[in-house]
Amino acid sequence: MTSTLGTTLVLGALLAAAFGAVVGIEGGLRQRAGALKIVLGAVTAFLLCMLGANLTMVHALVTHDFSVHYVAQVGSRATPLVYTVVSLWSALEGSILFWGAILAVYVFAFARAHRHDPPTNPLLALGTMLAVGVFFAFLIAGPANPFGRVSPVPPDGPGPNPLLQNHVLMVIHPPMLYLGYVGMVVPFGIAVAALLRGQLGDAWMAVLRRWTLIPWTFLSVGIVLGSWWAYAVLGWGGYWAWDPVENASFLPWLTATAFLHSAMVQERRHTLKLWTLSLSLGSFLLTILGTFMTRSGVFNSVHSFTQSEIGPTFLVFLGAVLIVSIVLIAVRGPLLVPEGTLGGVASRETAILVNNLLFAALTFTVLLGTVFPLVREAFSGVRISVGAPYFNRMAIPLGIAILFLMGVGPSLPWGRASAETVRRQFLLPAGVGVAVVVVCVAAGLRGAETLLTFGLAGFVATVTLREMSLPVRVRMREQAEPFPRALWRTATRARRRFGGYVVHLGVVLVFVSIAASQSYVVHTTATLRPGERFQLGAYTVQMTGIRNGVDPHRRWTAAEVRVTDGNGREHLLAPRMNFYERSTDPIGSPAIRSAAFEDLYLTLLAFDQAGPSASFNAWIFPMVSWIWWSLPFFVIGALFAAWPERRRVRTDAAERVPVPSKARSPGAAA
Amino acid sequence: MTRRGIWIGLSLAAVTAVLLFVLAKGFGRDPHEVPFQLRGKPAPDFTLKRLDTGAPVKLSELKGKPIVLNFWASWCGPCKMEHPVVAMSARRFGQEFQFFGVVFEDTEENARVFAGAPDPSFPQLVDERSRMAVDYGVTGVPETYFIDAQGILRDKVAYPIDPRTMMEKLAALKQPAGPVSEVVR
Amino acid sequence: MTAWVLGLVLASYAPQQAGSALLDPPREARVQALGKQLRCPMCQGLSIADSSSSAARAQMDKVRELVAAGRSDREIRDYFTSRYGEWALLDPPASGMNLLVWLLPLLLLVGGGLAIARTMRRPVPVAPAATAGTEERTPPADDPYLEAVRAELRR
Repeated sequence: MTSTLGTTLVLGALLAAAFGAVVGIEGGLRQRAGALKIVLGAVTAFLLCMLGANLTMVHALVTHDFSVHYVAQVGSRATPLVYTVVSLWSALEGSILFWGAILAVYVFAFARAHRHDPPTNPLLALGTMLAVGVFFAFLIAGPANPFGRVSPVPPDGPGPNPLLQNHVLMVIHPPMLYLGYVGMVVPFGIAVAALLRGQLGDAWMAVLRRWTLIPWTFLSVGIVLGSWWAYAVLGWGGYWAWDPVENASFLPWLTATAFLHSAMVQERRHTLKLWTLSLSLGSFLLTILGTFMTRSGVFNSVHSFTQSEIGPTFLVFLGAVLIVSIVLIAVRGPLLVPEGTLGGVASRETAILVNNLLFAALTFTVLLGTVFPLVREAFSGVRISVGAPYFNRMAIPLGIAILFLMGVGPSLPWGRASAETVRRQFLLPAGVGVAVVVVCVAAGLRGAETLLTFGLAGFVATVTLREMSLPVRVRMREQAEPFPRALWRTATRARRRFGGYVVHLGVVLVFVSIAASQSYVVHTTATLRPGERFQLGAYTVQMTGIRNGVDPHRRWTAAEVRVTDGNGREHLLAPRMNFYERSTDPIGSPAIRSAAFEDLYLTLLAFDQAGPSASFNAWIFPMVSWIWWSLPFFVIGALFAAWPERRRVRTDAAERVPVPSKARSPGAAA
Repeated sequence: MTRRGIWIGLSLAAVTAVLLFVLAKGFGRDPHEVPFQLRGKPAPDFTLKRLDTGAPVKLSELKGKPIVLNFWASWCGPCKMEHPVVAMSARRFGQEFQFFGVVFEDTEENARVFAGAPDPSFPQLVDERSRMAVDYGVTGVPETYFIDAQGILRDKVAYPIDPRTMMEKLAALKQPAGPVSEVVR
Repeated sequence: MTAWVLGLVLASYAPQQAGSALLDPPREARVQALGKQLRCPMCQGLSIADSSSSAARAQMDKVRELVAAGRSDREIRDYFTSRYGEWALLDPPASGMNLLVWLLPLLLLVGGGLAIARTMRRPVPVAPAATAGTEERTPPADDPYLEAVRAELRR
């Protein structure tokens, strides 16, 4: 019964999306105003069917209905309830079903927000988005059908992948990534609409910008959470391995960030239109490519699922979207005539242009490195690896250049800047940067790239804080406003600017933490019996014993240690080894002691119950938790930037663009 | 459609075609498969001691019969499933082939408990620090290697071996070395 | 049920070889550096220095043994590539077709830089009268944002 219900709902979604896509595109091209209502109905139907299908699946999972194919695949009576719900997206078919639901929510939100707009643009945009929805509904109904019936009905299932049950972050990280990934379909639809019409006005550009910012935020959060998960769970002490799937999430983030910057140039100078739209199209394309990388089984990665017919279907869809995008860009692109020009060499536009170039180069490099092993194998049959050393060598110089530009761009004005201005703007921040380097060298820190990063971080932080505080000081002086009021007024009067600077501060944090945590690691390994101890940095680690335990889905053995830090305080840690039936190697859980400026990271390498004795790997990672602390900066900055401004002069309702996302802003404007 | 548009379109289309071709070619091959370079080369020599008696076993002194090496560990679940298969093959074909088990990344006490009573047709060897395993290019357990009577490393099975695959590999081992074209599957 | 008995049995057996003893710091640093270049066969894309899997540990032991035996970095890398192919190196050796992966990004940067330079050479409109006329009224006139803030406050 559940199977039938689920499949029926998915087919319903497919029909609604197909109908809406046809009406939307046709109505938009023919400028039929009445079509919008029909499309809105189709969108609502799509949403209800997709949500219904997802709820049906969750119900089947929670009630352990093993007659449903997907539940038989990932369900298990032993799994705790939280992870049972989470297993909706833990394996291939379920995750595509989940994707469909989020897609439906985004499209619905966009439709609601723009239902009163002049209809042509929303028609085209919604039509495009629903066309994408058709593909996913088709995928769920056909090759990736999780609702198939299983007979005879098995009594129990294997449970989700053990790695996904190790940590609570696994509950948040995938939804965040999905909200980011899937959300890119909205700017795609908006950009396609602009290309189909051959024009990109200010109002529609603003829509495009806001609807890119929302998935961008989720994607940023998802990526940081993903690296936090890798750090806290995988036990090798790292947080980014340039794994194909990590790269898959990073690529659309890079193009979306480039877009957010070139959109500023588009807004000020009314130029770079085609490039900006191409970035929007590219972000969505990279999302589909990334999904292909994750789902097709072609790439060797942590997330690789088993091969199935989904891969070829995805490849065909990817090809189709690529062809449509290329045709649109080639044919309609030249219609987007620039209405302005760029400023001089020392101008903010130029800085943003160079920034875009660097982002494009980084995107290209990461994509090339990820795909290159396949290229070699396709053409010459030789299997090679392109791993972290390559990516680091390419990404670090580009990253440093981007960091530098983050300080240059905000310092320069739009248009032309005189030499006098340049000198005045850069004197103080450059001085701070140099001072930072001097202090670091005096403190004994070494490493050219690391010191350069620290210096540039000081430079950028000074520029950013100055740009944020200048209007505040002006307000305080000329309006005699107290500081908090001045700050609030400044922030709310120029939200995008303020939000952008907050995000920049977060990015500076990330750069500093990455540089410190990669360059100044201290490491040792030791084998201890109870009572024995070893020293690492200022920490003394003493083993106290071995403990075993049993959970419903695994058994574990922990080595208990007492850690004394440099201040004499004691902490009890217990790095663990978990044994799941499905894996040959046990999966370790590291024990981490996070202090303000460093983390002590312990893993259990081996143990002997008879001894008893245990072997440990221990690291000190400086500043690594600051990476996770960048999250509030990203979220707060993006919230400021995305929040709609209250209009002073209220024209007609069509101009108001309320914040659409239900999930994030409880007090959203109507 | 402008000239600039045509140029952009064509170059993008070319890149797209290459990308799609490469991705399509990726289907059907297992991305987790590790290349096996030693196929057709002489098997690296080793001297390991037996788990039961401690007597040394040297590969170069074992000429004459084809050899089957099975790598396992006590902490490996699938090895537990596979062990009886290999042991049974050893008992059946011990006249024509020499079967050895090699302990991988484990202690001797664990290995003894796992292996149970010593089986004369399937002696277990201790590989200290897994030196010999790395020499052979072992990527994990369980793995089974097939060496012919001339000491050439012919084939390897990198997953728990089932009786039918074992029969196929043993049959192939008796044939003289042909052109190297088998895929590890 | 059998699964649990099996689990019980398995939990008592664990990888109990922690790895060989570390060498003196300069040689151990070499071991770690080499380890970062070699790919762990059992994991996805991790180096043998980073991975804690059994195969990685065994290979690190081998690297340590080869370093202690005085082999050069190149010989050690060759040892692994002769068993696993070029696949074992995380950094693709810069030869033949592999050069593409190193050169193409560079080409893109240079090409893009040239494109930007060409765009910049288009004539730039003279900045509007804001500079000359208003300079006596308000200080740094070429900070338009500050101007905008002041203008707004005056409103």
